Amino acid sequence: MLDISTWFNDALAGNTIFTADTLGYYAQGFVTTTQLVFLSLIAGLIIAVPLAIMRSSKHKWISLPIYLFTYVFRGTPLLIQLYIIYYGVVFIDGIQESFLWPILRGAFYPALIAFTLNTAAYTTEIFRGAIKATSQGEIEAARAYGMSRGLMMRRIILPSAFRRALPAYGNEVIFMLHASAIASVVTLMDLTGAARFVYARFYAPFDAFLFVAAIYLCLTFAILYFFRFLEKRLLAHLQPQTP
Amino acid sequence: MAATPTPLEVRNIKKRFGDTEVLKGLSLQAQKGDVITLIGASGSGKSTFLRCMNLLEQPDDGELIVHGEPIRFKTTKHGREPEDWKQVVQMRAKLSMVFQSFNLWAHMTLLENIIEAPINVLKKPKKEALEHAHALLDRVGLTARANAYPAQMSGGQQQRGAIARALAMDPEVMLFDEPTSALDPELVGDVLKVMHGLADEGRTMVVVTHEMSFARDVSSQVIYLHQGLVEEAGPPDQVLGNPQSPRLKQFLAPKY
Repeated sequence: MLDISTWFNDALAGNTIFTADTLGYYAQGFVTTTQLVFLSLIAGLIIAVPLAIMRSSKHKWISLPIYLFTYVFRGTPLLIQLYIIYYGVVFIDGIQESFLWPILRGAFYPALIAFTLNTAAYTTEIFRGAIKATSQGEIEAARAYGMSRGLMMRRIILPSAFRRALPAYGNEVIFMLHASAIASVVTLMDLTGAARFVYARFYAPFDAFLFVAAIYLCLTFAILYFFRFLEKRLLAHLQPQTP
Repeated sequence: MAATPTPLEVRNIKKRFGDTEVLKGLSLQAQKGDVITLIGASGSGKSTFLRCMNLLEQPDDGELIVHGEPIRFKTTKHGREPEDWKQVVQMRAKLSMVFQSFNLWAHMTLLENIIEAPINVLKKPKKEALEHAHALLDRVGLTARANAYPAQMSGGQQQRGAIARALAMDPEVMLFDEPTSALDPELVGDVLKVMHGLADEGRTMVVVTHEMSFARDVSSQVIYLHQGLVEEAGPPDQVLGNPQSPRLKQFLAPKY
């Protein structure tokens, strides 16, 4: 059997920049980035579903607060939101004595909160559009067949809206992956953070950043493929059958 | 034996949209096995009348009695609305509707469309709903298309599927809102054949239609509406065979 570590050392032999050491930073950055993006997307998605339903409400006093939330988070740069949460959280009265402090003191959780709220805002609007575009005829049929509002939402409107939202949501996922690069400005060692570190150490911008760009490309490729697979399965009903 | 309650009775239904009074007091009584066809020019209010019967439109005035049970209304600042939506939901489960544009749920296969409401509204066991659905698919001639999505079916197939969906509810009364108007002429026949069969087996139906031959052959009563009022009503050979009012005469006259 081929000894992997020998092969690895051979492959790196004579390379001053990509040593086992710096590749370790990239690996660590890869883990941080995927964690950050994955967790914020999941949390954002969970938050966005009820918000999108509320945002679609006829009642002003339900939809307006949600609109304000999405307006603020879509209307300001993510970097500013991250700064406000990361630097601002220290100034909340009593936070340093609270049980939350050990969590919020680092950079990871403030970044996670900022990303979650940001993606929740965009996802809410994506879903709202999809909910609004539900065919009136299908809603009428649901009413005519004795479905209550809740049942109709659960069985007809949301399943059809989620499918419609899928391509736009896939875009949002890719956007979040790339937006996560700014986590490095609040000291997080994500992929971009690792690249910056390597750059600073060796003053080799092309090596450091092209390498990390390639990793982002691979991740994007995986996301694209995953969504293409989902669309194939879930949007089958929109494809006319070829006889 | 106790008399079975009248499946559907509406009395003095009135409806206005803004300043236009669309229905000016319409009544109708469907006994078990009746096939009532509503005919009239577009704008005569026939579809609105039908939609008032299962409260897809809220009538401003009038009574609605389904299977002997009057629907209770209350008046709010937004106008008149049902007092108890639960009662409406139960009522709607007894009247199933077939729409002009089919309105099958696009993200579900035909089979899923058919079992959806029986399972989730009537709380039927899935196995039973599936058996019933397969029998209905066979009946409307769509067994082969059970797993097709609506977008993959022709209009005629979709409408027959929609009729199967309506039948799956074991409805007291079936409401048809111009079921053949959106179909290509060569597809109309299949749908009418299915509806013929339903009438023959004694289904209670209220049908808004432009198919005069269907009205003539199948209905027990024909109602001709004009500007929100009943202009003429009676058995088909009387209303269609020997129309009295000039307007109905003109409506029935060959157009070309």
